[in-house]
Amino acid sequence: MIRCKPLLGTFVEIFTPDGGYSSNAIENAFLAIAEVQALMGFHNPESELSDINARCYLEAVRIHPWTAKVLTIAQEIHLHSDGLFNCGIGHHLVASGLLPRHFNHQAIGRVEQFGGIEHLQFLESTLVRSRLPLCLDLGGIAKGFAVDLAVNILQSAGVQSGSVNAGGDLRVFGSEAQNIQIRNPANPHELINLGNMCEGAIATSSLYFAKRDEYLKSYMVNPINHDHVESSESYSVIAKECIYADALTKIVSISRNTDHPCLAHFSAQAITIPNTLTT
Amino acid sequence: MYWKPNPLLIIGLAAASAPIIAQAKIYVSVEQAQKVLFPNKTLTKNPIIITDDLQDKMRSASSIRHPFQGDRVWRTTDGGWFIVDEVVGKHEMITYAVALSPTGAVTGIEILDYVESYGYEVAEAQWRNQFIGKTAADPIKLNKDIQNIGGATLSCKHLTDGVKRVAVLYDLALKSQAQASKAK
Repeated sequence: MIRCKPLLGTFVEIFTPDGGYSSNAIENAFLAIAEVQALMGFHNPESELSDINARCYLEAVRIHPWTAKVLTIAQEIHLHSDGLFNCGIGHHLVASGLLPRHFNHQAIGRVEQFGGIEHLQFLESTLVRSRLPLCLDLGGIAKGFAVDLAVNILQSAGVQSGSVNAGGDLRVFGSEAQNIQIRNPANPHELINLGNMCEGAIATSSLYFAKRDEYLKSYMVNPINHDHVESSESYSVIAKECIYADALTKIVSISRNTDHPCLAHFSAQAITIPNTLTT
Repeated sequence: MYWKPNPLLIIGLAAASAPIIAQAKIYVSVEQAQKVLFPNKTLTKNPIIITDDLQDKMRSASSIRHPFQGDRVWRTTDGGWFIVDEVVGKHEMITYAVALSPTGAVTGIEILDYVESYGYEVAEAQWRNQFIGKTAADPIKLNKDIQNIGGATLSCKHLTDGVKRVAVLYDLALKSQAQASKAK
């Protein structure tokens, strides 16, 4: 059975080859993804993430263990990438009109006064606060986390094989190798056959769909110099888990280095597809 | 993790990219979507006549231009609604189902099929043809058609506009019908 729902701002597909047998497991996996969206969505002013952004520099904020896990991994990758991965760049995206403004940032202070993910302190495993105002945007890694969570739920329910794809952030599981195709950045309707994978994740970073509105800036922001990174290539990262694959695509596309040392540290590999590729 | 690259990738990307065109994905049939969104409930077809006035109001509320078809509306015995609609955008055409509670709250959304296009170049009849023979009767064939497509995120913003117009449909047409049947 293959089902698809609009979640996490994109289309989420869940596939299992065993027909109706796994329909309950698929339903539960979608419910978990919807919960991740409710917790970690930037667009939702009621989400836990919005609560962290609004309050954590004023007082300690109690958070869900799933949010805590995503934030912990975000800090881990920030550390290993020497700051090239930082999900504390939401205020730049708000300023460019790419994300909604939920509260008045001017009341907090100037853009330079915002901290990054490194300023978030864990007082307990699910209790956080920050010295500086934060504007965290978990975007891609929350999506990667949701994909991993859905796979765990399917596997715990006894589903032997399948795939979960959140708008291109994709994880496959089971002993049977599955064919993976990727969009050609020169023409996103064309697919390139990348090869076979079982038990792994692939995430891709490219601007071909984001740039449909040409007046908008790129949503890819270099956290060190705050430039909006423009690129016409497509960068994919293959890793064991989707949350790491997604975060690492940011590092590869900002550094344009498919051999970035961070990849080896997380046992990942990167693939670049140039946009000059025509068939 | 097990990862076996396409051997043609090593020779060169051009060789690896035999142009497989991402065209149509079929997820569930109308009947399957009904079972998913209203498990163990009986649905009865309940077509709605869409007047020009209603059509205009739905259009202005949702910015979706193509007309809504009133013949794809179902009702559960306890007053819930199941509506099938399409959004036809510049880049995609999506058929989806929305489940509404008796009070009009969205309780679920399911995608039935998703078709990518090159803008308006793909004539409607042409893409519709791809669905012929692909019904709930041959699910095995559908499962074999699974494509694992990686790539940048497609936005579902357009679909959100579609759900908005279903909400307008409820407010302007379905709600009054529910009240009328209660009064009987």
